[in-house]
Amino acid sequence: MSDPVPLTTDHPGQVASATPPEPGWSRRLSDRWLTVAFISPALLLLLAMSVFPLLWALYLSFTDYSATRGGSAHFVWFENYTAILTSAQVHLRAFTTLIYVVGAVTLQTVLGFTIAYLISRRTHGRGLLTTLFLVPMMLSPVVVGLFWRFMLDAQFGVINSMLGSIGLGQVEWLTRQQTALISLIVVDTWQWTPFIMLIALAGLTAVPKYLYEAASIDRASEWFRFRTITLPLVWPLLLIAVLFRAIEAFRLFELVYILTSGGPGVSTETLSFHVYKVAFLGFNTGTASAYGILMVLIVIVLTQLYLRYLNKLKED
Amino acid sequence: MRYPKRIGRLSVPGRKVQLATAAMLVATTVAACGGGQDGASAPKAPATIPELTKDPLTLSFIWFEWPPAQALEAFANAEYTKERPNVTIKVNTVPNANWHDAIFTQFAAHKTDFDIPILDSQHIGEAVTNGNILDITDFVKQNIDVNAYNPYLLAAYGQFPQAETGKRDENASLYGLPLLGDTWTMIYRKDLIGDKPPQTWDEMIAAAAKCQADNPGVSGLAFHQANGSDAAAVTYNTVNGVYGGNLWDPKSRKIEGVLNDAAGQEAMDVLVNKMKPLTATGSGNWFIDEVNAAVAQGKACIAFNWIAASGGLLDPKQSTLGTTREEILGKLGFATLPSQKTNLVPLGGMGMHVSAYSSEANQAEALNFMKWFQQADIQKKWAAAGGVPSRTDALESPEFLNAGPFNKVYADSVPRMRDMWNVPEYARLVDIENTNVNAALNGAKTPKDALNDIAKEQQAVLDSSGSKGGGGL
Repeated sequence: MSDPVPLTTDHPGQVASATPPEPGWSRRLSDRWLTVAFISPALLLLLAMSVFPLLWALYLSFTDYSATRGGSAHFVWFENYTAILTSAQVHLRAFTTLIYVVGAVTLQTVLGFTIAYLISRRTHGRGLLTTLFLVPMMLSPVVVGLFWRFMLDAQFGVINSMLGSIGLGQVEWLTRQQTALISLIVVDTWQWTPFIMLIALAGLTAVPKYLYEAASIDRASEWFRFRTITLPLVWPLLLIAVLFRAIEAFRLFELVYILTSGGPGVSTETLSFHVYKVAFLGFNTGTASAYGILMVLIVIVLTQLYLRYLNKLKED
Repeated sequence: MRYPKRIGRLSVPGRKVQLATAAMLVATTVAACGGGQDGASAPKAPATIPELTKDPLTLSFIWFEWPPAQALEAFANAEYTKERPNVTIKVNTVPNANWHDAIFTQFAAHKTDFDIPILDSQHIGEAVTNGNILDITDFVKQNIDVNAYNPYLLAAYGQFPQAETGKRDENASLYGLPLLGDTWTMIYRKDLIGDKPPQTWDEMIAAAAKCQADNPGVSGLAFHQANGSDAAAVTYNTVNGVYGGNLWDPKSRKIEGVLNDAAGQEAMDVLVNKMKPLTATGSGNWFIDEVNAAVAQGKACIAFNWIAASGGLLDPKQSTLGTTREEILGKLGFATLPSQKTNLVPLGGMGMHVSAYSSEANQAEALNFMKWFQQADIQKKWAAAGGVPSRTDALESPEFLNAGPFNKVYADSVPRMRDMWNVPEYARLVDIENTNVNAALNGAKTPKDALNDIAKEQQAVLDSSGSKGGGGL
């Protein structure tokens, strides 16, 4: 074993010696080895928890494998994919998901940006307001779902109680086709508007003040300043927030599970909820894997298109 | 700082890492592939109980969260440990909606943290076909007095393939023994509709309508309508049975044309157009707890619920109907379901089974527990502790009949019971029925369309069993 390397030299002004280290275990600790040693745990974790399951799901998606029925997996090639893409049941869930994503993300973007804009104009209490607005985002979706389920209950929920006190009738928030999806959008908006607000606030804070000062000198109106300075500079950041939220909303599961169980009937069943049923009610693992892979592909393709648009926006 | 002499070896660690990564992926793949077993079928339990361990042992059950689960754990730890002091009983519970998934995902992994899964009677087919639970036919022959039970109760909680309603096939294999019997009881407000319960379904609907009209703020009916678990499906199946309908023809595996025949259509029409208007606004997602809450708060004239979940209705702390049990019982009555064209009632309750993936010591202990539990005196003690036994002598015992006002309802209902399908495709069949009945009850589909869709989709599930690709959509 080699002697420990001294931390200081006897001569402070002297440059550290270029003598090679003593032979032994330390000789193997080159930069390259150190890099490998430090990266390996994360790499192994990534391979085991992400890459392998993805590849395994890809393999299963071409088979008729069922996790509970046992037996070996038989290749059915693209039959699972064909069945999913041509299924009326899947089309219905895709449409529901689309309405949900567009509705929730649009509402969250408008509200989030508005709140951020109003907060950014305040000079006092901005930090406190921002913190308060962020509270819903910090809660678990299951907890949010459970207390909104109580609040939206038609019989004893606080929402209907408030509506009743102003003379409006009882609304069946979670059990009618017309209101159940709207309720989901409202609850998701309540929880995730702060996310858009936070990103928008960061963008608004980063807009150089001198631009507004110059506009003021030119006696530009508030609307003109907003339209020509604020919005164009915050827009790219806002679009990234929208991208994150759209991906999240696309794979919505918890709120549906807690609030409506996909009902009434299947009118609030999203794609993720349907995959769950395929995977765990019938244990059709092969079909569920193909379903999951298709969802990942859709997100990747849409994200790529979106990012290209974003890059083009930046170049312009 | 780098040393030139080592430059030539820089790629070696990289290559090793790549090789190690590839090896790990291959090893994981092989391990994952190795889990399957061709032609899975239930392994057999020994006819006689193997020697039991003297070491401390925890016997684990899995059930869903409800009062009988706590009652079972308390009862078993108090009584079974008198015979087996080294054993601790643990009843693990999950939310009702996750009950099937919690058990079958562990079965899928071929490794369970429970020894005795408590399965709904309809789950037996799936578990047997996949080889997840032990075949206890020989064990039952050797250790259980089968003549002590109503044959259908023994069949419903253990036999596969499924028995004909009301009978047991003595040549069929058994995979479980009864743990908790159950059926629906009609809960009615004696102070609002009178002491005598309605005898027919038509009378019941008329009484509920009159009660609702006479008592503003109180709804005529409360029953299960949710689209989770088997809530809405059991409601329709009950009305279907009462109006003379059938769920399927088990011999030809035919649902289309059987479920949606004239009797089935009439049942759906009665449920949606006559019963639903008598329920509270927004009750379209009600299940066990919500129905109990409506009764306890005095908001329903007549309600239907599982007997095993009705105990809380007599607790003054949970009720606005009285400050004592007697006062509540002065207002609430419990009766068997009214009849109409038939007198069928739904079979509820669950059986005990033995996980095929438990250790041998735990499987032996599980068999010993099941033998112990089915003894006449233990069944009576279980009845006194709040359980619903299955042995006829226990059902007729004062310990059971005096333990709750609804226990006589159960005893009287036993010869009238009918179960759903217990085929491996059960989970999908019940989901189809739940979602469609729920849709009809909440105005998302017409009753006729809902019933026709159920029949069509369920038939497609049965017909596609064994086909390749795209299953489960």
